[in-house]
Amino acid sequence: MNAQPVAAVDDLRVHFHTSRGVVRAVDGVSFQVNESEVLGLVGETGCGKSVTARSLLRLLPSPPAEYVGGRILFSTPGRGVVDLLTLSDEEIRGIRGDRIAMIFQDPSKALNPAMPVGRQVGEVFLQHRADHLLERAGVGLEELDPVSRGLLSRAAGERSRAPERPLLRLPRLRGRWRRIRAALDESVAQALADTRIPTPLKIMRSYPHELSGGMKQRVMIAQALACDPDLLIADEPTTALDVTIQARILDLIRELQQRRRTAVLYITHDLSLVRRLCDRVTVMYAGRIAERAGTGDVFGRPLHPYTRGLLGAMPARAGRDGRLVAIRGSVSEVLNGDPGCRFAPRCPHAGAVCRRRDPALVAHGEPGHEAACFLHEHLDDVAPGERPSPEPVR
Amino acid sequence: MTPATAGALAEPRPTKADDELIAVRGLERYFPIKQGVLQRVVGHVRAVDGVDLTIRRGETLALVGESGCGKSTLARCVAGLSAPTGGGVYFRGRDIAELQGEDWREYRRNCQIVFQDVFASLNPRQLVKDIVARPLRIHHEASGADVLDRVVELLESVGLGSQHLYRYPHQFSGGQRQRISIARALALRPELLVLDEPTSALDVSVQAQILNLLSDLQQQLSLTYLFITHDLGVVRHMADRIAVMYLGRVFELAETAEVFESPRHPYTEALLAASPDLPEGEGRDAVRLDARMPDAASPPQGCTLHTRCPVVTHACGWEVDDALWWLEQALPAAPADVVRRRSPFEADIEFGDEVTAGAAGVALARAPAAMLAALTFEARGAVLRVEFRNVEPVRLENLGGGRLTSCLLHAPAQRALLVESSTEERSS
Repeated sequence: MNAQPVAAVDDLRVHFHTSRGVVRAVDGVSFQVNESEVLGLVGETGCGKSVTARSLLRLLPSPPAEYVGGRILFSTPGRGVVDLLTLSDEEIRGIRGDRIAMIFQDPSKALNPAMPVGRQVGEVFLQHRADHLLERAGVGLEELDPVSRGLLSRAAGERSRAPERPLLRLPRLRGRWRRIRAALDESVAQALADTRIPTPLKIMRSYPHELSGGMKQRVMIAQALACDPDLLIADEPTTALDVTIQARILDLIRELQQRRRTAVLYITHDLSLVRRLCDRVTVMYAGRIAERAGTGDVFGRPLHPYTRGLLGAMPARAGRDGRLVAIRGSVSEVLNGDPGCRFAPRCPHAGAVCRRRDPALVAHGEPGHEAACFLHEHLDDVAPGERPSPEPVR
Repeated sequence: MTPATAGALAEPRPTKADDELIAVRGLERYFPIKQGVLQRVVGHVRAVDGVDLTIRRGETLALVGESGCGKSTLARCVAGLSAPTGGGVYFRGRDIAELQGEDWREYRRNCQIVFQDVFASLNPRQLVKDIVARPLRIHHEASGADVLDRVVELLESVGLGSQHLYRYPHQFSGGQRQRISIARALALRPELLVLDEPTSALDVSVQAQILNLLSDLQQQLSLTYLFITHDLGVVRHMADRIAVMYLGRVFELAETAEVFESPRHPYTEALLAASPDLPEGEGRDAVRLDARMPDAASPPQGCTLHTRCPVVTHACGWEVDDALWWLEQALPAAPADVVRRRSPFEADIEFGDEVTAGAAGVALARAPAAMLAALTFEARGAVLRVEFRNVEPVRLENLGGGRLTSCLLHAPAQRALLVESSTEERSS
């Protein structure tokens, strides 16, 4: 498969300025998402995966966040390759929701409770597809005078100023405006129906609190896919859902992804979901990449002790009698720039060298399988006693 | 990680395999729905709707189901936090609702609960030492300097230590908070621990730590667990027996291995297929439940799963509501004007005019085969009369060896009913 990269993150560094010092949430992360593939970004809470994802859309509030270094290259059909980190606010707004869309973890928080869901999906069309709406409504702007033309196109793009609203009721504009709104409703219903919502016309008029969790998540997916984005970022979209509903949502994401050949960046802490959905996996730990590989390799031949730990912690793998191989402790914040492997304090293999030097991502075995761990390197310059031990030490 | 010492926490109690600790008999918990200025009761949400269970001493019984199936309500009834509206929970042969005074205190001491939300279940204004000491003080288990010793002992048994005594809950991570919560629950040396989704808010790696801790504690202290979860991976690891719940009722109850190897209920199969972390889950991909969850205030007739079941038959309890739902899907533009029900199975559906009623009849004829097989209908003018076969509610049936299922397709006695009704159909 000779896939084109849709987005490439290159040595991204994001720092947060807090009262306790600078938190290096993302510290030199590089990866790329290719056309029509699902890339899994895996790690525990606090490992920087959500910060990475939000950086792609520049959704982090700044301050406290600061993009310290790196580039996020994104190829758009019209404009070639752009660096998302250097775009102006207006330019990034044009990409958000249009070329790159995001599904959030908790649909009840991400949807506006005071607005029917149909209008929320409609907003996307109004923001990014105003021309298309006019066309679909069969409203030719050319035959109108410049003033009416301006009024209608601003209304279709939801950029009307307050005093303009009543003017849309003038006999000259009323019929056309109604047709535009009908076209909008039609587009929204179509987007909702695409996510297998059974009665889109009814759901459109409901408020988020009237819908079940699974239905709300479908609405969010409809919203995200409305403009047929090149890259879809899914940030733990099923954590808040029941397993039965989760299975349906995963089926849906996979199906839509395959049909539209969208690239998906799927963020989760649950490796079992990765196996179901992803083509490749990137495992993050404390702001760095610990390992990346094809899904089969991660499950078949995990290299990094952290990946092994995550796999060992899956209850279904252990069965009734076996003990789960839990990772000691929890993710620690990276406040200052200590040298050494971030995982060393929790690692059962760690040797003295791991606390002194940073391991780099090095390729091992299968093509595309990389891990940042001294365990798999020949450390000729390091005394044997300081090397990591192949057997886990508890 | 491993608790260093259980110390004087408790001497192991003698355990017997089939020793019944708690018996739940016909348990019902209905919540009233109130409406209007006068707050009149207009209906009931049947959170738990007739559950029979026994919890054996020393075992882990898992309650599994989707959210809203009543598993947490059942757990709260067992823990005595919610009074049942019917049936009862029996501890050592006595209904806990009738326990009073010292007996009641004795029960509360023996049955403790660990909640799901570790952020809400620990008082943010109290120090850890006060949180864990609270049960000891209330039950006059210890006083003075003794209390602190006991608290340290408890904290050590869950993998924390004396350095954590003078901290507030917000200073801990989610996993550590759950450890505090477990230490508090263990303070009175209970026999039964009700664990209400204790790990669903935690990361996988931290979840593994807590599950290991719970296994260790169970062995050391001979605890009995009622383990509530929706994660079948966790269940498979922890549970001896599994009760699968749906809409307030138990659908299947069996040993863990049996449930995973040969589920005897389509709902269980669907849950298994939906679990992404089960190795054999891949082969079962085809079983997917319809997403619409019925309302617990008016549960479906017959088998309550029939509205979503992938292998539904004509005898599963098709009713008027199903016909109305089908018509709403097929003819969204022409809703029924009036529905006059004579029973859940019979109704006259009145439409605006004859044409619509006719169209509705045509739409109904395209309903799923299982529904059609139980349905007779005719259009008379603007009225569509529908009539379904009357069906009794399904019962939980014993398949031998302590395996229970409520599915017609798996229970021999009820399967007879299925055969009977289909022959009757052919003759008519």
